[in-house]
Amino acid sequence: MLLLPKFDYEEPKSLPEALAMLSELKGNGKVIAGGTDLLVNMKKGTVKPAFLVSLRKVEGLREIGGENGGLAIGSHATVSEIADSDRVGSMFPVLARSASCLGSPLIRNRATIGGNIVTARPAADLPPALIVLGAYVELKGKDANRTIPLDGFFTGPGTSVIESGEVLTRIILPSAPPFTGGDYIKIGHRAALEIAIAAAASRLTLDKPDGVIVDARVVLSAVAPTAIHAASAEKALIGQRPSEELFAKAAALAEGDCSPITDMRGGAEYRRDMVNTLVKRTLLKAFNDARDMKGGNA
Amino acid sequence: MKAYNVINTRLPRVDGRAKATGDARYAADLSMPGMLYGAMLQSPLAHAKILNIDTSAAKRLPGVRDVVTWKEAGLVKYGVSPARYDEQVFCSDKVRYVGDEVAAVAAIDLETAMEAVSLIKVDYEELPVLLDIGSAMAEGAIAIHEDFPGNISAEVHQEFGNFEEALKECHIVRTDTFTNKRQDGGFLEPQACLARYDLNGNLTLWSSTQSVHYVQRSVAMVLGIPVGKVRVVKPYVGGGFGPKAAVNAMELAACLMSRRTGKPVKMVFSREQVFLHSRARHQFTHELTTGVKKDGTIFALRNVCHLDGGAYSSFGIATIYYAGSLLGAPYKLPNMKYDGYRIYTNKPTCGAQRGHGGVAARAGWEQQLDIIAAELGMDPVEFRLKNMMQTGDVTCNDFNMSSLGMKECLEGVRDGSNWGAKKGKLPKGKGIGVACGFFVSGAGYPIYRSETFHSTATIRLTEDGGGVNLYTASAEIGQGSDTILGQIAAEALGVSLDDVRVHSGDTDFGVDLGAYSSRQTLMSGHAVKMAAEDTKRKVLEALSEQLNVPVEEMDIARGVIVFKKDKPDFSRLRTLYIKEHRGWADQPSGAELTFREAARVAFITGGVIIGNGAYKPGELGGKYKGAAVGTSPAYGCSAQVVEVTVDEETGKVTIDAMTDAHDCGFAINRTNVEGQMQGSLSMGLGEALFEEVRFDEKGRVANASLGEYRIPTALDMPNVKTIIIESDEPNGPFGAKEVGEGAIMPTIPAILNAIYDAVGVRINELPITSERLFAAMKEKRKK
Repeated sequence: MLLLPKFDYEEPKSLPEALAMLSELKGNGKVIAGGTDLLVNMKKGTVKPAFLVSLRKVEGLREIGGENGGLAIGSHATVSEIADSDRVGSMFPVLARSASCLGSPLIRNRATIGGNIVTARPAADLPPALIVLGAYVELKGKDANRTIPLDGFFTGPGTSVIESGEVLTRIILPSAPPFTGGDYIKIGHRAALEIAIAAAASRLTLDKPDGVIVDARVVLSAVAPTAIHAASAEKALIGQRPSEELFAKAAALAEGDCSPITDMRGGAEYRRDMVNTLVKRTLLKAFNDARDMKGGNA
Repeated sequence: MKAYNVINTRLPRVDGRAKATGDARYAADLSMPGMLYGAMLQSPLAHAKILNIDTSAAKRLPGVRDVVTWKEAGLVKYGVSPARYDEQVFCSDKVRYVGDEVAAVAAIDLETAMEAVSLIKVDYEELPVLLDIGSAMAEGAIAIHEDFPGNISAEVHQEFGNFEEALKECHIVRTDTFTNKRQDGGFLEPQACLARYDLNGNLTLWSSTQSVHYVQRSVAMVLGIPVGKVRVVKPYVGGGFGPKAAVNAMELAACLMSRRTGKPVKMVFSREQVFLHSRARHQFTHELTTGVKKDGTIFALRNVCHLDGGAYSSFGIATIYYAGSLLGAPYKLPNMKYDGYRIYTNKPTCGAQRGHGGVAARAGWEQQLDIIAAELGMDPVEFRLKNMMQTGDVTCNDFNMSSLGMKECLEGVRDGSNWGAKKGKLPKGKGIGVACGFFVSGAGYPIYRSETFHSTATIRLTEDGGGVNLYTASAEIGQGSDTILGQIAAEALGVSLDDVRVHSGDTDFGVDLGAYSSRQTLMSGHAVKMAAEDTKRKVLEALSEQLNVPVEEMDIARGVIVFKKDKPDFSRLRTLYIKEHRGWADQPSGAELTFREAARVAFITGGVIIGNGAYKPGELGGKYKGAAVGTSPAYGCSAQVVEVTVDEETGKVTIDAMTDAHDCGFAINRTNVEGQMQGSLSMGLGEALFEEVRFDEKGRVANASLGEYRIPTALDMPNVKTIIIESDEPNGPFGAKEVGEGAIMPTIPAILNAIYDAVGVRINELPITSERLFAAMKEKRKK
């Protein structure tokens, strides 16, 4: 039987109190949100924090609210709250779709958007969608706050630019330009409880319904140490008139942008082939939504 | 058909409330004052000599109460088949797989026990590791067991009819190779136990097991305790599927440490330990050569099978026989030749799992039959119907089809799925496939050679018959046997299910070989029916004396006495009963003499009313070597149609619909029969699409968790249309036979055949992952 190691548990009542506590603990403390990743790793013995700091009593960290025409999502909003939110569904359906693919219905009830970001798993479901949406993350420390793009936040499997003592408080999604659409598709074995074999998120912005592509974002997941841009695919799309041929060309280029490995979930060759399929399919859906402005603007 | 009151209904399960509310207690929930917690040291190496074991540091750790190795446990060999006892409680000379048990600790809490385990130092000398059949069978390969050179744990050679001669008459002869992957049982409840050796030298073991009887015998033999002093009790069990059908080293270690310390000792497997203990489905490789005549008559089959057995034998001897004997049927096949080899490797031991021995063979063969049907230009359903056995047929290996509703099953799924409108008419990417299956309804012989009854049952009435206590050692493991046996008792005695209290899973209640080889309904059902009839007879005999009515002119049904001729005046008995129960609210009234009144009379005149039943199968066919594996008092059969969608750009298979028909002889509980059918399909779907235990190069299980070993989730299950076929089995209680395992047989090949129909590729290796199917389609496009 796997046993949870002994640890102390704190529930500070305000953010300043929490930040002071974390600063004092100097790396011996870890923030626990849903615990779906942390508690499993503690049982396995791969992380051994002496203190767990829960922010469940800190107000405002679960809110999903409007911000400058876009959205701000509290880091402790659960994945099921995001998947089920009408506001998220209408403004950023790509995010709702990626949230509805994460784990299982039970895990989604516990897991949080903040946890899915700070654990920095290469196959995490929310980051690819958030990156194509141009999300920012708000990081608060005892003495300083900063808001930085999520794009560039990850530095490797399990690592990011977040510093010890910093807490991710909000995820900010800027409003999308007109004639924008997107999609997220994940490939796993089962219908639930899956870590992606490969996944892709795409977003296209047109200058007008039957116009050219003015902005293209293609982010791939589980095919590199972190979620990455398919940079050559993006480059090939910008300034072009959308077509199935163009998307096929971009998909082929995306295969070259990734560096998949063979592991227990899938082989490198299959993952590369799936990048092609996923990029093609997400671009087609993104284009259709951008042209029709169906179901929101991203 | 005769009308029944309790059976053939949809009564809710007797354990439903307890399980739905969390009130049910499983072995891991048990606790006792002064209880110690046990933990085991298991080998980190797949093959190594043990040079030295140093337990001194572990013994010194505060809180540790006992540390045991082979020196304390002894060197008694045990296992499943007496001819292959090849296990010890703890390894003495060498370890044979990662997870082989080396030592155990009992301590005041689990943390201390686990820390003590980490303090045991073992010096090993590494030996060559044999992880697959090829390396284990290679010339000069090290013997994993000294007594078995060449690492052949068992081999079987059988021929019925004359295969070579038969081929000369065949129009189509084709050979295909098929392989599945090693499975995990995937039950939700990891094994757990609590052992208590009391001051009088009586040992009680509560354990998550499928067979209290086999565990009782093994504990008595290995620990040298008289069998009468060993009691094994099965609390609620969260699934078994085969791996829990024999004793495990943890149970023996807990008993040993309880005897040594005088304290109760509790031990629980982690999920990883479930994978290490394994005893689940083997990896089978079948080379199948089938000969068919021009008119579509299946005429000859050659089956060569290799099993990757793992480090010990477990149920594997039976497995290697079943892998041959369960083919042929349900088709008429006069010529069958089988060569089977089970090979030792340095991996966890494989054993029995739902559909024991037959699932991979069935998958490969039913796919091959589909290929042959296509070559003949015959519809797969027509081809199967043409070759189908029927009631009264006997197979070439002497299995007697005392009932066989196979034709009805096949026609049922054909019509139920609207096969005719779909086969060959679906758009590309969508497909439909069919397959048949067949299984024993209880192994005809115990696993040790014996004349023992397979099941006994006792019914003891409470003093007024208001409570009917049924005692059986049978194993309710989630499959529903408590409900089924309660229904049989109620029907045969003439009362309602609510009146029956089922006490099961305890060696003090009798002998029952347990829940394996789909035996509980037929075998235990017979014993319970006999016990209920015996009880009824005793009550009616007592009543007969009081009322002067011959026993033959009375019966009991719906809780009242049925007088077949004139109803006698029973007012004296009623008055007596009412006087005895003055002030009670539930006095009998009305025109009928109640069972309670009759049972009260029987008690007052004769003491406690006890009825007994005991069953073992009658004479079974087959005199050849190995005939004991596969002969059964009855055989269940089934057919399935599966409809799939294949995403050609990802290889992803979606099961859209399943239509399943199963001949269970007679449905004691219709909802439960459907539950077993659905559960079998889910398990077959998992084996077909997802499941595979994987190893790293050192023989460690690489996916020993339910995160990376994928059993189907609720969201992966399609809607299933279930069709119950009832062929009225003459050798079954009320005509009933198995549904627990046979229903899994057609699932995998029906999926394979549907995939072929959808995209035109044949897959000869399970699981059919998206990646494997995508690669096969890519290969086909290249050609």
